[in-house]
Amino acid sequence: MEWANDGKTRGGVLAHLERLEIQVNRSRKNLEDLQRAQAVESALGTKIHKLRCLRDELRAEAKQRQARVKASTVNVEPDQTPEISEQEVAKRRKENVKAILQAYRFTGLSGKLTSRGVCVCISTAFEGNLLDSYFIDLVIQKPLRIHHHSIPVFIPLEELSAKYLQTNIQHFLFCLCEYLNAYAGRKYQADRLQSDFAAFLAGPLRRNSLCNLLSFTYKVEPRGQSFPFCARLLYKDLTTALPTDVTVTYQGKRKYCTFCSHD
Amino acid sequence: MDETLAEFIKRTILKIPMTEMMTVLKAWDFLSEKQLQTVNFRQRKESLVHDLVLLCEEKRASVHDAALLDIIYTQFHRHQKVWDVFQMSKEPGEDIDLFDMEQFKSSFVKILRRALRNVTVSFRDAEENSVWIRIAWGTQYRKPNQYKPVYVVYYSQTPYVFTSSCQLKSNIPLLGQALTVASNHHKIVKMDLRSRYLDSLKAIVFKQYNRNFETHNTTVPLQERTLELDIHMDSRIIHENRIEKERVQRVTQETFGDYPQPRLEFAQYKLETKFKSDFNGDILAERKEPLRCLIKFSSPHLLEALKALAPAGIADAPLSPLLTCIPNKGMNYFKIRDK
Repeated sequence: MEWANDGKTRGGVLAHLERLEIQVNRSRKNLEDLQRAQAVESALGTKIHKLRCLRDELRAEAKQRQARVKASTVNVEPDQTPEISEQEVAKRRKENVKAILQAYRFTGLSGKLTSRGVCVCISTAFEGNLLDSYFIDLVIQKPLRIHHHSIPVFIPLEELSAKYLQTNIQHFLFCLCEYLNAYAGRKYQADRLQSDFAAFLAGPLRRNSLCNLLSFTYKVEPRGQSFPFCARLLYKDLTTALPTDVTVTYQGKRKYCTFCSHD
Repeated sequence: MDETLAEFIKRTILKIPMTEMMTVLKAWDFLSEKQLQTVNFRQRKESLVHDLVLLCEEKRASVHDAALLDIIYTQFHRHQKVWDVFQMSKEPGEDIDLFDMEQFKSSFVKILRRALRNVTVSFRDAEENSVWIRIAWGTQYRKPNQYKPVYVVYYSQTPYVFTSSCQLKSNIPLLGQALTVASNHHKIVKMDLRSRYLDSLKAIVFKQYNRNFETHNTTVPLQERTLELDIHMDSRIIHENRIEKERVQRVTQETFGDYPQPRLEFAQYKLETKFKSDFNGDILAERKEPLRCLIKFSSPHLLEALKALAPAGIADAPLSPLLTCIPNKGMNYFKIRDK
């Protein structure tokens, strides 16, 4: 090749070298930029990865917490949850005690303290059937006295209180229990006879306030041709619910049989 | 059926208010359903009564049927009579009372008839093993006067008898004797208790007027029941003497309780006491003899009125025990003498 112009060729080579240098610099810069971008890209990538992991963790924890809260509200045992206050515990205990006090009436003799003494409750029963309750409101003074009561007037309350109220109140209450339970039992039996055996009765059931005399006419078969019998039941012992004398007569003939159950 | 009986039946039916006519006739159960259907109940009362009397004549009503109608009318209108209370007593240590209603009735009639031939006695069984007895008195020579009967109400195996006030006072001892013997008692004494309200008298002597008892089963404890003061009603109202008012309420509640009081119309106090005066020169204070004086408290409902006295500010609380002891002692007639 002939070097036509020294200047031009020289300018050409130097310029060419310059151009090559610039090219190299440019490509080097590009490479550096690329590398830098790649570094940033990878950094961001790891950050994204970390954030994703954190998000998954938090999601899992939130789910766990929800499940735990649900489980604790479904759970019946209050003692297991630590949130029951002392007040509720006390309230529940008070209700329990109150229920026990209310259930005491099933023992037949219970009471409640009043501002002036005690109100005794006698709950009568017969053969597993709970019957009426009777009350005596006592004033605790010397002498002990009855303020008011719901004992029927034909039960000998004055007699019993005159004998035992001041000296032996336990005996007084037990005697009264006996009388009232026996009366309730007799009354219950008479009521059942009237209602459940009405088909067998050939007339009204005659009775009195204490239900200690029952008189009625009955047939052995309700609809049959059987003869009517007259029955008369006497309860001479007011502390029992069973008769002491039973007389059964056959109408028309004066033949009768008497059963006496007392010795 | 003779004229006097027809007249008596007519007058008895005339007394019945039209609103109760059907109920009473059904309770009487003398005229059948069929017979009652033939009568026009919408006509004027006089014509209705005329028709009913004719039906009674057809069915040959007797004195006893008429007496039964009279008892039923009185049972519906028991407040029209004034009732006395008698108390019977037994000998101590007597046998158990085996009360037989039929024996009582026959014994009662026998004793009356033994003394007085001319007497009409009728019975009607009532609730709680009780019996209403109607007695029309006559004399040796005169038939019983059906227009002035005495009514007796007796609850079996109790010591109390309720009788409508009898104008013919001479028959009272005989009545008392018949009742005591027939009911296996020994003595009978008239109580100082009288009222028109038979149910209240029963509540007083049977001690059934206070039915409030404290139990563990009651929902409202008696102590916590709020007093009837309007304190919390309006904050612009200031109550003077609040403490005193509360004290009066408390004392009234302790004396009279929370239950409805039995109904009496009056309380009578016969004073035979020396006159007491603060003035020294008073003429009356110099009297040696006791001053006789009768004080009568009257009210449509005496005990409720007494209960309202202190809260209304008319009287001081506590009231005099002479007033507050009425239901407890079973008395509303008092004789007060110097001790």
